[in-house]
Amino acid sequence: MSLVGRDKTSSMGPLPRQAWLLVLHDLRQELREREIVSTTVFFTLVVLVMFGLSFASLGTALHPLIAPGLLWLCVMFVGSMTLTRIFDREREADTLRALLVAPVERLAIYLAKATVTLLVLLACMALLVPGLVVLFPGASALATNPSTTIALVVLGCLGYVAVGTLFAAGLATGSGKHVLLAVVLYPVTSPVLLFALVATRALLEHHPRVMTYLGQMAAVDVLLLVLGAWLFEPVLVGVGRARVP
Amino acid sequence: MSIYTIEWAPPSEPVRGMEAQPHNVDDDGYVAVEGLDRNSVEHIRALEQRAAAKTASDYAHVVWAYGILWALFAGYGVLLWRRTVWLSRSLAQLRGGAETRPGAGR
Amino acid sequence: MTRAPVAPLLFGAALVLLPWSVVRVFLDTPIERQMGTAQKIFYFHLPMAWICMAFAVVCGIAAVVELRRRSVVAGAVAVASAEMVLIAGLGMLISGPIWGHATWGRAWTWDARQVSAALLWLIFASYVLVRRYGAAGSERLAAALAIFGAAEVPVIYYAVKVWKTTHPTTDVVGSLPPSFWAALWPALCALSALSLGLVLVRVRLELLAQQLERQADS
Repeated sequence: MSLVGRDKTSSMGPLPRQAWLLVLHDLRQELREREIVSTTVFFTLVVLVMFGLSFASLGTALHPLIAPGLLWLCVMFVGSMTLTRIFDREREADTLRALLVAPVERLAIYLAKATVTLLVLLACMALLVPGLVVLFPGASALATNPSTTIALVVLGCLGYVAVGTLFAAGLATGSGKHVLLAVVLYPVTSPVLLFALVATRALLEHHPRVMTYLGQMAAVDVLLLVLGAWLFEPVLVGVGRARVP
Repeated sequence: MSIYTIEWAPPSEPVRGMEAQPHNVDDDGYVAVEGLDRNSVEHIRALEQRAAAKTASDYAHVVWAYGILWALFAGYGVLLWRRTVWLSRSLAQLRGGAETRPGAGR
Repeated sequence: MTRAPVAPLLFGAALVLLPWSVVRVFLDTPIERQMGTAQKIFYFHLPMAWICMAFAVVCGIAAVVELRRRSVVAGAVAVASAEMVLIAGLGMLISGPIWGHATWGRAWTWDARQVSAALLWLIFASYVLVRRYGAAGSERLAAALAIFGAAEVPVIYYAVKVWKTTHPTTDVVGSLPPSFWAALWPALCALSALSLGLVLVRVRLELLAQQLERQADS
């Protein structure tokens, strides 16, 4: 399977096609083994049960206050786990190094990994959001505004994935200390978390400014994607030789 | 200006309750002095006590804040100094070891 | 080639300026009416905040240079600046609540600047951890982290302001008259000299450590 796609019959440039081929490759592997999706979805279920146990005694009036935090903290936990696993698989088979050596655009690798992680996260969200609505009836606005909820979840996960892919890939090329990924990811994704919390709370309380907050989230996502894409190659491969004084 | 003075100017208008009382003796045999009655004097004493308590609390906070800041910098400085000493010693040892071994190193 | 002893000069300047700034703050400046003596904490708290932000920017720039040119000196500058961000940030995050407790009875007021400073402190703490405990080659990742941290300074501040709309508002620090600002500059100069001296010492330390590693390998 050629990854360098200068497909003369396609009107798309090589970059999107390369990214798409990488995504297909990863998805095909995942469909065969189903390891990442099953473990992360089960982890989401476990976290949901823990949240239910811990916060079930709170009154319905408090649900709009705690549901945003529960939702986005779960996203961060699941995201960290997913990223760790996706890049662990690459490191075990040493395929990341092979990918970097192959004539594939680095940006395509970044986009492909980010897309796959996003898809896995969204699969977990398909369980988490309805689960939260069931456990915390006060958060039912998540169900009654499906389009806004979907936009919110996609934007939040996208921002997280944009940052997380860069750092997970960077840590994967070394000896892979997983705790470092957690240490790095949570502070750096805090703007995404803050905006997501505000937007979710606005949605749950039927605040008129929900769309403004979603717009702000989209702007932050664009910034993080640009930064992540720009830094991907220097972080993984470096530029030129080291200068020693 | 002494650091022990507190900027408190007496009010320009008389405070309620500070009207001069005639020189008569009340129930406890308390005689008003300087035209101030007992209520007003106790009022003033309570305010002064609150001001003194605030000053004392403020000093404690100032001492803690400045102390912690200086301790942070001093601690970091000591840490750097100790590591520099250790590193210089290790480097000297390595260099000495390299020189005694002929043809070693670069 | 002999170099001017910049760090000792800076420490000497700090040694002179620090007592002088304390005299200016406590003896020459009147006590503020609303906040009392506790307001004097401000004269060291604000320079801490400025030093923290300044070195965060320096760290970000050094990280960019380190990534683009693979410069070892830039890497050393980045590590040293990040550690100074942690020290000054810690001083700011501790003196701020002490001041808040003295003035308003509440140590942590969820003020936008306070929260964003805490988040940035966490980012640079993770930078130092990655530099210290990351595998060989994680310097580039740490540099990316520093760049993210520096780039996110305005984003985090804005995000926290938006986030605060869901939190109760806090007391506003009233503006100070000009006579109170005069004592700020000696304190700022003293603390800047001290922190710059420490950063220079740390840069030299980092370069020494790398020299030791190369010597040990050869």
